[in-house]
Amino acid sequence: MSDERPPLGSWRRMYGAVIFCLILLIALFTAFTARWNQ
Amino acid sequence: MRPGDWAVLIASLVGIVAYGLYKGRGSNTTSKYLLAGRSMPWYAMALSIMATQASAITFISTTGQAYADGMRFIQMYLGLPLAMVIIAAWIAPRFHESGVYTAYEYLERRFDARVRALVSVIFLIQRGLAVGVALSAPALVLTVIMGWPANITTLLMGVTVVGYTVAGGIATVTWTDFVQMIIMTAGLLAALFCAIWMSPVSFGAAMNVAGAAGRLNPAVWTVDWNNSYNILSGLIGGLFLSLAYFGCDQSQVQRYLTGKSIAQAKLSLLFNAVAKIPMQFMILFTGAMVFVFFTFTQPPVTFDPGAAKRIESSAGYARAKAEYDVAWQARKDAAAQLPDAAGEFKAAQKRFDDARSQAAALAGVKAGADTNYIFLSFVTRYMPVGIVGLIMAAIFAAAMSTISAEVNSLATVSVVDVYKRYVRKDREDRHYLRAARWATAFWGIYAVVTARYASNLGSLIEVVNKVGSLFYGGLIGVFILAFFVPRATAKGALGGVLAGEAAIFYMWLRTDIFYLWFNALGCLVVVAAGYAISLAEPRNARNES
Repeated sequence: MSDERPPLGSWRRMYGAVIFCLILLIALFTAFTARWNQ
Repeated sequence: MRPGDWAVLIASLVGIVAYGLYKGRGSNTTSKYLLAGRSMPWYAMALSIMATQASAITFISTTGQAYADGMRFIQMYLGLPLAMVIIAAWIAPRFHESGVYTAYEYLERRFDARVRALVSVIFLIQRGLAVGVALSAPALVLTVIMGWPANITTLLMGVTVVGYTVAGGIATVTWTDFVQMIIMTAGLLAALFCAIWMSPVSFGAAMNVAGAAGRLNPAVWTVDWNNSYNILSGLIGGLFLSLAYFGCDQSQVQRYLTGKSIAQAKLSLLFNAVAKIPMQFMILFTGAMVFVFFTFTQPPVTFDPGAAKRIESSAGYARAKAEYDVAWQARKDAAAQLPDAAGEFKAAQKRFDDARSQAAALAGVKAGADTNYIFLSFVTRYMPVGIVGLIMAAIFAAAMSTISAEVNSLATVSVVDVYKRYVRKDREDRHYLRAARWATAFWGIYAVVTARYASNLGSLIEVVNKVGSLFYGGLIGVFILAFFVPRATAKGALGGVLAGEAAIFYMWLRTDIFYLWFNALGCLVVVAAGYAISLAEPRNARNES
């Protein structure tokens, strides 16, 4: 059943999307800290 | 709690149990009882994985941690998405394809029965220690804040969880987790909105106050090996902790073994990879907003009512309290001037912390030991009717979802890896189903009994994570040998685990290394020692294994 297609078309793309989200979150947290944490 | 709150709480609990029992009916074979007949859709597993990880401690203690220490704790979860990708790509498919009931069963196929037995025992010890804490933590706090007797709270929660877990097996556990996670999210959102809405200043001003007090620090780039959470320790330490917890801990592995396909299991893991950090951010942000609330509404010297009584009856209290009142007023005035006079606010914050510590010291109490009581004090004293009941239901749901998964997985390992393997080998399926029900009941009763003895000061969430970190390095190490080191032999795996555990206990007892590093360092020792021992074995022994 592992050939069931994931929402983004391939598993590699799914994993890439997850890593991208993580990098985005770290960037957002860094910007958030820089803006608010004085 | 008012009648409206009781109504919400009771309706939620009855609803959860009824729905779970309905969905779990017909679990009349071991495959259905322990793996839901491998029929679960991704969204049920996804929320079950999330609900299992989020315990009552997460709600009660993490918010308090943000109140006292800021949001930097969130960095501990940064390694989680990476771990989920690794598990989805390499680990979950192997478990699924091999058709095992437990992660440890896989180790016998790859190595031998000794490795499986050793790792199963490590799991039973580690989870056995944690399940009591998971049950006692909310009971302890509810006793102190609500005045409910700890024995009765523990018993009520324990009997409910054990009742539905014994009756319906993992299908019931998964579907109750599903509803529990929805209730938790609702409770969390309600708490967050109330905390923001009840603050007397605008949202922008509230952010200035929390920021000036150093509470809005989800990203810390400075590296400190001995203490504190930062991006690096979160990414690396958190990666190993998550790999061990989601990849080798049966209480999580069993969630995605129930998937109706490998793809569904992978999706449930990736959902958590994306959703977990934002959820944790919300919890911590709520704590920071509670901090702002108490900048403008005077908090007690300590949120722990027992300690507060001791402080009030100690000599010198009147003078210490007077200084505390003045310090709080000065901080409030300084907060009103933000964002301009940030230096003055910081000085006022320091004066307030000192006054608080001095007052607490009168009764020999540490000012920071009340982390677990902050959130519930805030909820019960200031939140509107109905919302209190919803948040209480969320805390109960969080506790129950964690305990049910732990009891369920402890029973599965006891039956599949110990009883069926060593005690009664070739009996009919019905026999093992009965054994699984008895084992579930046994671990449930064990949890209730040990919960009465597990009491902790300080931050409970750290205690649970620390206990986990003593064993997780060994677990993840042996699975890395199994999955990624083709030359690893059974003797290598066995020696590796023992060497790794020795190294972790040495670090814990003899060094100041921060506990989050135990997983990564312990795992490295297991893999290095395991590989070295495997290489040292004669080639024919390697071929045999």
